[in-house]
Amino acid sequence: MIDDKDIVMVDEPVLSVGERFYLPQILDGMRTTIRHLFKTLFGRPITIQYPEEQRELRVANYRGVHRLNRDEKGRVACVACYMCETACPAHCIHIDAGESPWEDREKYPIKFDLDELRCIYCGMCEEACPVDAIELTTEFSLVSRTREEMILDKEELLAIHDRTVAEKPRKNPRITGYENTGDRPREPAKNRTNLAKEEGA
Amino acid sequence: MTAACNGRLKLMPKIIIDNKEVECREGASVLEAALAGGWNVPHYCFHPGLKVVASCRLCLMEMKMPHPKTQELDWAPKLVPSCQTHVREGMEVRFDSDPVKKNVENCMEFFLLNHPLDCPVCDQAGECHLQDYSFEFGRAESRMVDEKWKNPKKDIGPKTLLYQDRCVLCSRCIRFTEEISGTHELTLVNRGSKLEIDVFPGFPLDNPLQGNVVDVCPVGCLLDKDFLFKKRVWSLESTPSVCAGCATGCSIRVDHAERVVHRLKPRYNPKVNDWWMCDEGRFGYKYVHDDKRVTTPTVRRGLEDSTPEWADLPGIIRYRLEENVQANGSEKVAAVLSPFMGCEEAWLLGKFIRDAAPDATLVIGPIPRSGEDQTFPIGATGDDIRFTISQEKCPNRRGIEMVLEAAGGKTLDFEAFVASATAGAFSAAWVVGGYPAEWLDKKLAVKMAAKIELLIVQDIFENPLMGGAAVVLPACAWVEREGSFVNKAGLIQTFERAISPPEGVPQDGAFFFALAGFEGLYTGERVREQMAGKIPAFADAYEAPLKPVHAH
Repeated sequence: MIDDKDIVMVDEPVLSVGERFYLPQILDGMRTTIRHLFKTLFGRPITIQYPEEQRELRVANYRGVHRLNRDEKGRVACVACYMCETACPAHCIHIDAGESPWEDREKYPIKFDLDELRCIYCGMCEEACPVDAIELTTEFSLVSRTREEMILDKEELLAIHDRTVAEKPRKNPRITGYENTGDRPREPAKNRTNLAKEEGA
Repeated sequence: MTAACNGRLKLMPKIIIDNKEVECREGASVLEAALAGGWNVPHYCFHPGLKVVASCRLCLMEMKMPHPKTQELDWAPKLVPSCQTHVREGMEVRFDSDPVKKNVENCMEFFLLNHPLDCPVCDQAGECHLQDYSFEFGRAESRMVDEKWKNPKKDIGPKTLLYQDRCVLCSRCIRFTEEISGTHELTLVNRGSKLEIDVFPGFPLDNPLQGNVVDVCPVGCLLDKDFLFKKRVWSLESTPSVCAGCATGCSIRVDHAERVVHRLKPRYNPKVNDWWMCDEGRFGYKYVHDDKRVTTPTVRRGLEDSTPEWADLPGIIRYRLEENVQANGSEKVAAVLSPFMGCEEAWLLGKFIRDAAPDATLVIGPIPRSGEDQTFPIGATGDDIRFTISQEKCPNRRGIEMVLEAAGGKTLDFEAFVASATAGAFSAAWVVGGYPAEWLDKKLAVKMAAKIELLIVQDIFENPLMGGAAVVLPACAWVEREGSFVNKAGLIQTFERAISPPEGVPQDGAFFFALAGFEGLYTGERVREQMAGKIPAFADAYEAPLKPVHAH
């Protein structure tokens, strides 16, 4: 229930004589239109001649079709942690995890399906990914004849990585402990005396 | 505050925790009193079903103790493990204090020293108490400057994996194999920071209760191979249920997602299974998702097969049964009630048959048995028994017997039924199966089916009776139904529906409900209300507590 004291009554403002004619407001609006008209006539046009011309997209944060990154050995970088599936508000990601065939990793995705029609391109999957395996690219003109074709599987998502990796390299994943044996080169451990010196300085 | 106190105890000591008075059960530990009183006290090694070892040092509290010389109550100079200290009248303890908080924080830091940051790929994530306590009591960053010690996972048995990296050395699993299963497979090896859990060479962790070590493990160290990587736990839904594996009737939780059961976990039930369940029950649900299940009803007239709508079936069956009763008399009708049916379903079907044919014979289905009752710790007798796996591999023999007793009239056991049916004593019979394994002798069944004119067979899988049946109906597994089972000790326990039956199939109870002439929605409770008139015991079915008496 809303208390009466929380309700503020607002009266309609009284219009002056000039305002009641509406003409000044119309002219004010026209000014904006005319400004844009002259800008387009004598300056750079706002529209582009798509598809002959293409807009330049911001590679770093444009949210187009997804891709699944490969790691430095060319394997799928995903560790099948389901974080993207959990974060996805549209429930468009479906993962089946399995034991990875590689020594350095526990889990990998056997199936990774992404329904591009259900997706709302919010980028939450990219945010959630702890190994930067899923990323959104600048590709936006995804077409197909059927709905089923719009469900991209692991191979298709990896193929998108292969054709966009030159334009947008994979971000550096944060070092985590997903590997069993640790073949990833590590920074040499600081010993206590060094640390004490650093802290002292 | 009285959650920890059972009514049977006379004296209820009162202690003061953080200046609040708490009433608790005589002989309880301070930790139990605090947990029951609503304090979230971190603990790993304490488990109410196992002996206390006080090794994790997380539950340490400030306590007022009698001075050894003067016997005067005074604050002890050091922190005291609350899991090991029994409550005494007038005791005072502090949990919300700086030394206690500091202790928990430091303990958590030690637990996490070598812990890999692999929560995203760890199956325990989401129900892990390292995560919870680290979030609540730990510090955000590790001060460890040396490289973490890595220890790859070990295959310690046919069903279980051990990730030593993630272990907190609470020894719950070891105590379980010592105290409950009595098989002593697990032990601690090495010393100091290299201390780890292991099995003895050549003796893998392989006993009928071994799945419980995964449940008692508060972290992701021990994991089921069966559930490994299948699903993240936060996407599972849980439904309280009763295990249908044997006549013990353990309280369980069915964890399922998107109409698929992913695992069964035991639920605390002081009257039956305490905190445990056996592997046979734990992994025995697989038949629910078998491809060979019967999913469509079939009606035969002469040589013609048809698949009617479910809504038309009660009418068809009622008509055919009436036709048969008029032609052959009502004493030539029989119904076989399977011990896999819930009491409600058995009662409804019995009622329908008896309404249509008052002199009908009610039969209890065959009781699958295997070997002897297995007691744990292995070979225990009398009061030492902590857990029993029944030789009777069906959940509801007692329930069906109760229903048959209440129904009165002519009843038979299955062998006698087969004998008289093959001799041509029945012209109409309704046979319910629902057994996870094959349960009929093929020759006898075919012979029997040939003698019965109107044979209605309802089963999960195809059985030899179906060849000669007039009506074939699909049945539902227990996770797809709701109702109650009566275990071998006579305890009536309810179970809820976890997943929906195969596409289009109504749950057995709902179908019988419509068939028996009731209107509206079928719920186990509605039928139990009706049954209570005949069998008063069904007025209050037992439901195990949804939350255990301990935090985890």
